[in-house]
Amino acid sequence: MAAIWYRQTGVSLVVLWVFLLSLFSAIGAVKHGDFKKCDQSGFCKRNRQYADTAKATANSWASPYKLDQPTIKLQNGKLTATILKSLEDSTELVKLPLTVSFLKSGVARIEIDEEKRQKGLIELRHGSKVRKERYNEAADWAIVGGLDLGAAKIKASDKTQTVVQFGPDYTYEAYIYHNPFRVDFMRDGKVHVKLNGKGYMNMEHWRPKIEKPIEEVKEGEVKEGETKESEAPAVEPSIDESTWWEETFGGNTDSKPRGPESVAMDIAFPGYEYVFGIPSHAGPLSLRETRGGGDEKYDEPYRMYNSDVFEYEMDSPMTLYGAIPFMQAHRKNSTVGAFWLNGAETWVDIVKSKSGSNPLSLGTSSSIDTETHWISETGVLDVFVLLGPSPKEIIKTYTDLTGTTSMPPQFAIAYHQCRWNYVTDEDVKDVDRKFDKFNIPFDVIWLDIEYTEGKKYFTWDKQTFPDPLGMQKQLDAHDRKLVAIIDPHIKNAAGYHVSDELKSKDLAVKDKSGDNIYQGWCWPGDSHWSDCFNPTTRKWFEGLFKYKSWEGSATNTFVWNDMNEPSVFNGPEVTMPKDNVHYGGWEHRDLHNINGMTFHNATYTALLNRDKVPKRPFALTRSFFAGSQRLSAMWTGDNQADWSHLATSIPMVLSLNIAGYPFSGADVGGFFGNPSSELLTRWYQAGIFYPFLRAHAHIDTRRREPYLSGEPYTGIITKALRLRYSLLPVWYTAFYESSKTGAPIVRPNYYVHPDDETGFDIDDQFYIAGSGLLTKPVTAEGETKVDVYIADNERYYDYFDYSIIAGAGEDHTLDAPLDKITLLMQGGHIIPRKDRPRRSSGLMKYDPYTLVVVLDSKGYANGTLYIDDGESYDFVDGAHIYRSFEFKDNKLTSDNLSTSGRKTKEYLKSMSKVRIERVIVVTAPSEWESRKEVSVLQDGKKTKTQLFWHKGDGKKASWAVVGNPGVFVGSSWSIDFS
Amino acid sequence: MKHKSAFVLLAAVPSIVFAADSRPRGVAPDFAKFYKSKDTFKCIYNPSIEVPFGKVNDDYCDCPDGSDEPGTSACSALSHLSPSYPIGASTLKLNSTQALPGFYCKNKGHQGSYIPFEIVNDGVCDYELCCDGSDEFDHAGGVSCPDKCKEIGKEWRKKDEARQKSMTSALKRRKELVVEAQRRRKEVEERITSLGTEIKGQEMKVKSLEEALAEAEKKDRGRMFHGSGKGGKTRVLSGLAKARIQQLRDTLTEVKTQRDDLKSRVKQLEDLLTRFKTEYNPNFNDEGVKQAVRAWDDYAAVDRGATAQDEGVEADILEILKPDSETEGINFAEFENEDEDDVDMLYQLEAYLPASLKEWIAEKYSEFKKFLQTNGVIAVSSDSEVKESPAVTTARTSLSDAEKRLRELTSDRDNHEAEMTKDYGPDSVFRALKGTCVSTDSGEYTYELCWMDKTKQKPKKGGGDTNMGNFVSFGKITVDESLPADGRGLGKGERLTMKYENGQGCWNGPSRSTTVVMACAEKDEIWKVFEEEKCVYRMDVGTAAVCEIVGARKQSEDTVGKDEL
Repeated sequence: MAAIWYRQTGVSLVVLWVFLLSLFSAIGAVKHGDFKKCDQSGFCKRNRQYADTAKATANSWASPYKLDQPTIKLQNGKLTATILKSLEDSTELVKLPLTVSFLKSGVARIEIDEEKRQKGLIELRHGSKVRKERYNEAADWAIVGGLDLGAAKIKASDKTQTVVQFGPDYTYEAYIYHNPFRVDFMRDGKVHVKLNGKGYMNMEHWRPKIEKPIEEVKEGEVKEGETKESEAPAVEPSIDESTWWEETFGGNTDSKPRGPESVAMDIAFPGYEYVFGIPSHAGPLSLRETRGGGDEKYDEPYRMYNSDVFEYEMDSPMTLYGAIPFMQAHRKNSTVGAFWLNGAETWVDIVKSKSGSNPLSLGTSSSIDTETHWISETGVLDVFVLLGPSPKEIIKTYTDLTGTTSMPPQFAIAYHQCRWNYVTDEDVKDVDRKFDKFNIPFDVIWLDIEYTEGKKYFTWDKQTFPDPLGMQKQLDAHDRKLVAIIDPHIKNAAGYHVSDELKSKDLAVKDKSGDNIYQGWCWPGDSHWSDCFNPTTRKWFEGLFKYKSWEGSATNTFVWNDMNEPSVFNGPEVTMPKDNVHYGGWEHRDLHNINGMTFHNATYTALLNRDKVPKRPFALTRSFFAGSQRLSAMWTGDNQADWSHLATSIPMVLSLNIAGYPFSGADVGGFFGNPSSELLTRWYQAGIFYPFLRAHAHIDTRRREPYLSGEPYTGIITKALRLRYSLLPVWYTAFYESSKTGAPIVRPNYYVHPDDETGFDIDDQFYIAGSGLLTKPVTAEGETKVDVYIADNERYYDYFDYSIIAGAGEDHTLDAPLDKITLLMQGGHIIPRKDRPRRSSGLMKYDPYTLVVVLDSKGYANGTLYIDDGESYDFVDGAHIYRSFEFKDNKLTSDNLSTSGRKTKEYLKSMSKVRIERVIVVTAPSEWESRKEVSVLQDGKKTKTQLFWHKGDGKKASWAVVGNPGVFVGSSWSIDFS
Repeated sequence: MKHKSAFVLLAAVPSIVFAADSRPRGVAPDFAKFYKSKDTFKCIYNPSIEVPFGKVNDDYCDCPDGSDEPGTSACSALSHLSPSYPIGASTLKLNSTQALPGFYCKNKGHQGSYIPFEIVNDGVCDYELCCDGSDEFDHAGGVSCPDKCKEIGKEWRKKDEARQKSMTSALKRRKELVVEAQRRRKEVEERITSLGTEIKGQEMKVKSLEEALAEAEKKDRGRMFHGSGKGGKTRVLSGLAKARIQQLRDTLTEVKTQRDDLKSRVKQLEDLLTRFKTEYNPNFNDEGVKQAVRAWDDYAAVDRGATAQDEGVEADILEILKPDSETEGINFAEFENEDEDDVDMLYQLEAYLPASLKEWIAEKYSEFKKFLQTNGVIAVSSDSEVKESPAVTTARTSLSDAEKRLRELTSDRDNHEAEMTKDYGPDSVFRALKGTCVSTDSGEYTYELCWMDKTKQKPKKGGGDTNMGNFVSFGKITVDESLPADGRGLGKGERLTMKYENGQGCWNGPSRSTTVVMACAEKDEIWKVFEEEKCVYRMDVGTAAVCEIVGARKQSEDTVGKDEL
């Protein structure tokens, strides 16, 4: 949902002509004019200039940051010291306290603050009441663990450097150079990550504004979208003060009571050609260079400033709705990463260069270095360096810090049917019936903003939704759910209890005065914003979700948080002014990117606490930050019914998955516009492989529920959705395992094959967790063939007919007519599935399983299967089934992987009738041809069951079926094929 | 539980009744013959495949056509809607089409019915389809579905009886409607006849009034002639008239300039708005913009009258604006030197013109004046009367009244004649309903259907009505809808439709249109209104007008099966 309104809307309605004319002038200026480029964002421009200067004067450049050697102390895994910043125009040295924490996980955390501000020895302008410290609470939101300090010791220390050994068995080293301050991180004797190696580090210290009358006049002239060009040449960036004190954009002036205060640092990955991460951007998985422009490079840095970007562009570093400032660098057999923990507006420049000039990079296999430059507007400098060495470990350590995705309720990974808007409760019921009539499964139907009374959340439009409970009862009859939208803007309307309480309890975001409630424009018109940084607001919010309070909500009601960037139609860059004030006296600029997370965090907690016995909540968020993955699913925002958006959705979802946010997806069908039947069909065929699978459409689009497409499209879409449902055991198991390890649910080639250099930048095909399933969706109009890249020597088999695809390091062209989904099974895996079609995932609970055993070249395969009740937290107390299946030496065995708890026994009893109804062995040996039976061993009893062997034809593999072996999913058993 | 009637293929009347107990679970009487052997079972479509009878309903799908599992969900994946997997050895030609239409619920005490295999043993009691609860014999998840056929059957029979009764009344009502339609048709025919007579009479009257007028004028001319002043007066008058005409001409020139200016400004505005409509970004969901575009669409949709007519007016004006001379307009010179005897001619300037042109000019003049007045270009003022004797005026008025009446009568007859050829549906039954409307509340709107006329959406919150289409034609559509117990639904089969098109233009979409789908019912009412896609509406409507002897039976057959004995 959620497009932007043109910001003048509210005020211009009065006079039609004025309004229309204002629109004429706005056309064509909407997209780019609304959002800043680097040189329209003062601190970005300053820091980029700073880097340019440093680069241009490489030989004479001296970074003004020096480590004060006597202050260096290492204790219990933590090194502390003071960095001194020297100033050009003063002899004063700015003291910047440094902490380097060497964590047990092998991660090194570098924090740099500003002493004067820590101590409050600064003066704020305009009589501002905001905090004097640099913002230091990002970690409180993002970090949930992994901070245990590990062992660290000083290996060597002299005047120029201090060398600290840390990590597993002291195998990592940090070379901390004193003057200028910089750090090289070594693993296996090689430098993998360099901090401030280029000297781009910049902590704009606090300074008083020196009033220069001439300057004043010039500053007054600074106009929208532009900053004053400095008279001085670029080699002296410190002179460019034009953006220090006030900045104007889009008619809004930022008062900047604390003046310039950006933090920046260069982080280089010597020998690493590929970098991934820092979602969300609409571009390739492998991040592009950001200097120079042209076909392959951008000329703007990647930006992270969560925004309601209307009709976003493809292949662009422009900011989107959420931000995860976590990047990983990859080369053959090594992955390292950096996590820049900062909630303010952040820009990242990426440059790749041929190495060789740097002696420390000698011996690395790649000749390309990737240098990144991170620039944030405010806050302390807080960066985590992760040394890998594999993609799996990088994500594990990252999610140890920021948390993994908690186990979702099962319906959440099934199919969601959404539209802005289903217009009445009867409409919802009718869609529900139609799905059944056409035999199309679905689990959840969604309501966008129109269900409310005048966009007042927690209310229902009495005319259109007179009976929400009756509607939800009908859904519940087939174990289906409702998701209703709740946004953070609260209509400013007297008599609306939410608005009244927000005001009377003082729980809203304030304007720059720090006293007055901020007023802006959003869906309901004049609105306020609940400030979920405030614990009291969150507590109050919880109350609003109680069944008694939110009348018409039921146990099968779940929640969608939209517009939480926050989107403010008449604000600068469609969001809040940066000098707005939040709880704790922090400016909005300090925590903008975290704002969305606080809101869905509140929603999640509210849902968790609405039942006496908590059930797993489900919330969807549009805006997010590092850590959001713990609490909510996300989607990639307001995309378009366009082939390019379908294609880009894949790298976008992959990028989120490798940044610790697996529960992600794009709107199937495209939000804006009307997809052709072919596009819609192809989108479903791709969308069934998004971890979060939801179809959605804008209010002005034609209806497009799958049953409306007509044949052959409806049938093909139904088949695709049924495939998703039959593979739910794979998805559910993947979510369970990811909740333990943080592992991505959908995995790009480099993650699965970290040593295959050819495949590092492949981002249009992907694996589903560890199942060995590999898919490549068709994302171009009229396409009937796909080229699938196979990285390894293992044989792959077509999921549907067991055709063999083999040959490492090359593309294989496969037929992909409209009704064909390209889905391959890698040899060596056991894939659990449920073949019986049902109306919803909840109604599949007791259905038997089919195991597909895909043998590898050595006749081996394994796999796992996780099952629980799909909704409660009983699984924590052992109410779950977790099995490992292994086929080895002609024998298939099921072993227990779970640890039992107090609810194990009862649960197993409830599942005691659930069988494995069929075992299919793909690439079954020809010796089995004559075999008519296999023996089954379960509970010490031996039985025989039928085996049917089917000969392949060379192109297709031979396969065999064990029919009805009589084994149970919750039991240990073995089937002997010998 | 909810409807699944789309898949309910209710059993046809079994010709032979088997003892219920001899059939495996889920087997309908029609298929009983395949399940008679007690030793082996041959797959129905693949008789080459035999399985021990013990494997029938063992919840494992052995037959490629699913026929060994009539009573479980084991073969439910055998469907073109499910992912396809290899089903058997390549050496055999196997038929993998589902052999059975579904799981058969006996529903003793009600009607036996097939339900889809997908809903067997899924833990949900689907009583509406399977009142005996036999679909959940396995008690998945502990579900228990006791047999409710007795109550449900009873209730159904009660409703069915009411429905049958209602059907009978509906048929009766249709007959009445047909009679009414015929009566109205007759009325029209009679009206045409009587109009014919009236027209003839009126024509004669017009003729006689023409004569009367001519007579009166003749007399009047004589009077005028006598009353005319001496020589020289004409000249004076001619001078005055010339000045006056010049004055009027100047004014007209000025008015024309002003009009042209306004016209070009309107054009400018219209162009601006046209561009606005095509260039605005429809993805901004801005109610203000939407309203503006909608209002523009409405404005643009109003027919501004034939341009040919405008051109005519324009040509007239240009003609009038030409200065008088020997060849154009009035040759004043002629009058200035003319005998006063011809003074009457001055009074009757128009007499110089052919009668048809005279009338046309008068009409144009008055239209143009009206146009200028209504648009505020000139003030409303009383017409300056042409001095004429009352007798002539009366005669003229009488004549024009008679002529007007004649025109009315003629057009009335033409309309009625056209009406006779118009399609009013089968038996012209909708002739009886024309002019009446039905409406229903749905959400924030009241929807109205006016038979053979318009469909409308009226917001309850206030604001203007939205035209959802004007009647265009009849059509047919095949529907497959659930039929609620009260019979207020379309059911299954071919239904008559009315197409309403070219309603109000839609934001970012086409003009609104409505398909009215009708099924037999006692009372005329709208059952359901929904937007099938953007601005394309459908109304499901009950009316006795579509009840037919054949149709009604067919409809009831769709819903009524035969009790399992």
